[in-house]
Amino acid sequence: MPKQIAIYGKGGIGKSTTTSNLSAALSDLGYSVMQIGCDPKNDSTTTLRKGKSIPTVLDTVRQRSGDLDNLVHEGYNGIYCVEAGGPEPGVGCAGRGIIAAIELLDNNGIIDEYSPDIIIYDVLGDVVCGGFAMPIRKGIADQVYTVTSSDYMAIYAVNNLFKGILKYSNNGGALLGGVIGNSIKSSLQEDMIKDFTERTNSDVIQFVPRSPTVTRCELDGVTTIEGAPDSRQAEVYRELARKVINNKDKYLPTPFDNDDLADWASGWINQLLLNRKVEIDNIQEEASGI
Amino acid sequence: MSSKNTIENQSGIDTGINKFEKESVEAPRYSCALAGVYGTTLGIRGGIPILHSGAGCGVGQLFGTLYAGGESAGGNEGGTSTPCSCLVEEHVILGGEEKLRNLIESTIEIANDELFVVTSGCVPSLIGDDVDQVVDEFRDQAAIIHVNAPGFKANSSEGYNLFWDAIIDQLLPDEYLESEEKTVNIFGVVPYNHVYWKGDLLTIKTLLESIGIKTNIIFTEKNGLDHIKKIPQAEYNIVVNPWLGVRAVEKLEEKYGTPFIKFPNVPVGAKQTAEFLRIVGEKLSIPSETVENYIAEKEDWYYRLMEYPGDAIILVRPNSFYAVAAESSYAIAFTKFLANELGYLPDIIQITDNPPIEVREEIIREIRDNLDTVVQPDIIFEADTYKIRKNLENRPFLFLFSSSIEAPTSIEDYNALHIPISYPIYNRSVLAKHYSGYDGGLTVVEDVVSGFVGPL
Ligand SMILES: Nc1ncnc2c1ncn2[C@@H]1O[C@H](COP(=O)(O)OP(=O)(O)OP(=O)(O)O)[C@@H](O)[C@H]1O
Ligand code: SF4
Ligand SMILES: [Mg+2]
Repeated sequence: MPKQIAIYGKGGIGKSTTTSNLSAALSDLGYSVMQIGCDPKNDSTTTLRKGKSIPTVLDTVRQRSGDLDNLVHEGYNGIYCVEAGGPEPGVGCAGRGIIAAIELLDNNGIIDEYSPDIIIYDVLGDVVCGGFAMPIRKGIADQVYTVTSSDYMAIYAVNNLFKGILKYSNNGGALLGGVIGNSIKSSLQEDMIKDFTERTNSDVIQFVPRSPTVTRCELDGVTTIEGAPDSRQAEVYRELARKVINNKDKYLPTPFDNDDLADWASGWINQLLLNRKVEIDNIQEEASGI
Repeated sequence: MSSKNTIENQSGIDTGINKFEKESVEAPRYSCALAGVYGTTLGIRGGIPILHSGAGCGVGQLFGTLYAGGESAGGNEGGTSTPCSCLVEEHVILGGEEKLRNLIESTIEIANDELFVVTSGCVPSLIGDDVDQVVDEFRDQAAIIHVNAPGFKANSSEGYNLFWDAIIDQLLPDEYLESEEKTVNIFGVVPYNHVYWKGDLLTIKTLLESIGIKTNIIFTEKNGLDHIKKIPQAEYNIVVNPWLGVRAVEKLEEKYGTPFIKFPNVPVGAKQTAEFLRIVGEKLSIPSETVENYIAEKEDWYYRLMEYPGDAIILVRPNSFYAVAAESSYAIAFTKFLANELGYLPDIIQITDNPPIEVREEIIREIRDNLDTVVQPDIIFEADTYKIRKNLENRPFLFLFSSSIEAPTSIEDYNALHIPISYPIYNRSVLAKHYSGYDGGLTVVEDVVSGFVGPL
């Protein structure tokens, strides 16, 4: 049985970047990896494929080609890349699309055929509806990771995901593997995320700093692992990969009620703002030579 | 009583209904919004439903609306020949607009000069297909409307209201048409869901035309689209239901200034019919002599006929208790008729079409204030067949007026004779039969008496 994990988090928080780097790092470590983008934007695996997009699972449904041989495409270092795909923006039901795509992969033995050591689902946004919860239902992923920054809305999405995990846990759904803190610029941001995990009985598995290397590699259509293997950022992703592969923890977090979350966050946000003000004041003072 | 697994009816004939079926949960008193629009569209001659839905919706309603409405087949445009976009998973995910566009195009191509009613069911409403936009593309090619009627949003009765909303908002012109004197439109009789709709509408038309009022009953008449286009010309709109069609007549008043006359029910028997004719006659300035002459002539005929079953009623089932479980309009009409014209005693009245809370008080008052008996019935709003049955237990009634769901076991369960008057009616083929007007009142009596006379 391959290890199957799902990566969730608020839109634009860095799920695809983190997932692709994780896949690349795992692949470098010698594991056979399959990355499945569960997002109608179908951009999860582009940095594994030199910026080129691939036909999606739902494209085959759309074209009624029934051609199931054209769903898996090799990327960096032989990583198996799959994109679920979905409807045009503003049309149809993307949630149902995720369900259909996963069912199609599952029922046709496509995953088994490649027998990867690890399968990573990169899932769009929040667990907005049943469709996007599909990967955490029984029989798909067994471990969930969530990417967050210290942004309140990002943490809010994590808290929602925790609720989703609780809901499905009774029926053998996936459990939490850990929280990945992304785009970290200060230790105060780390402290906030850590405090959140402590209060929700969860754990940070890795902090990933915000780094211009990531952006530069992305512009070149590659992961940091591929484009800047010797960078400090690449080492962070490799560390994440080692932790994920060895992480056997699977547990139930205890999410906040929405009101409690807001109360908890307001204290932290004040501190973060104060901190930023101090930073800016210092810069101004230095610049003005006072 | 039968000791076998199946249940025998009053004549000892095996009904084929077993205990499981009898206690089965699946026994609805109405269907979904799409069904209401579908049935209403099929009530229009030349009305073509175009279902934008899963394939099961149309077939489901063949059984759930058409057969349930007095065993009616779907005709050329209904049943298994209904145009339907038959949405499957592919359309759920990627959207069903293109499929609908093709369907409308080909439907218009093979049928012309008709009214096309695009009806959206659950699937497109869930995924948010922009059906209005697709339908807009065809508006200058055909008389076409879109009714958004997902089953999860409303029931089939409300579907009738939604149909009229769409006709008035999308098809009828904005400008004021010179109204034609002494003409009326009839609203509030719902095709199929009011199982005796065909006969009831014709009766209302015959009654009003007898006193000189041109009556547009819209449904059942040929060239249905022409009848719809004539709606704005009426001097008055008449609605014969406490809630269905009321929104339509209010809308028409707003749009064209057409006043309306509201009756809580279809008139059943001489008393209700005379009152109906007098009120309409007065509003439309029909000479009272004309109205009274007609009433007198019909009553003379009617009351002579009423004498014939007199002995049977007085000797065998005088002053019997009765129970009603029916849609608002028929529940009101039958309760009043049986009490006021047969001298029967209302025991329990259950209203099954789920009228909005705002009109429930009005319905109760209409029944309570118009009974010439000392006995006041229990009046309950209940659409759940199981609860309807529970409410009927251990009561004195000898006659049960309700749907065919209760028919096979009415004797066994309640020791009551059953007369099917409300949706669904699977045990009768209903064509021109009706209970409205003078002859309709007599038909009620025929049905009541036929239940206990004989068998030889
Ligand atoms: N650690 C980081 N340092 C610098 N930039 C980052 C980092 N993580 C992510 N980004 C940048 O943030 C942007 C959004 O990232 P990404 O596309 O991975 O997010 P996502 O969560 O997958 O978004 P979506 O929800 O739209 O799929 C990208 O331009 C990416 O390069
Ligand atoms: S409830 Fe929905 S799915 Fe069922 S028949 Fe009505 S419209 Fe179709
Ligand atoms: Mg992404």
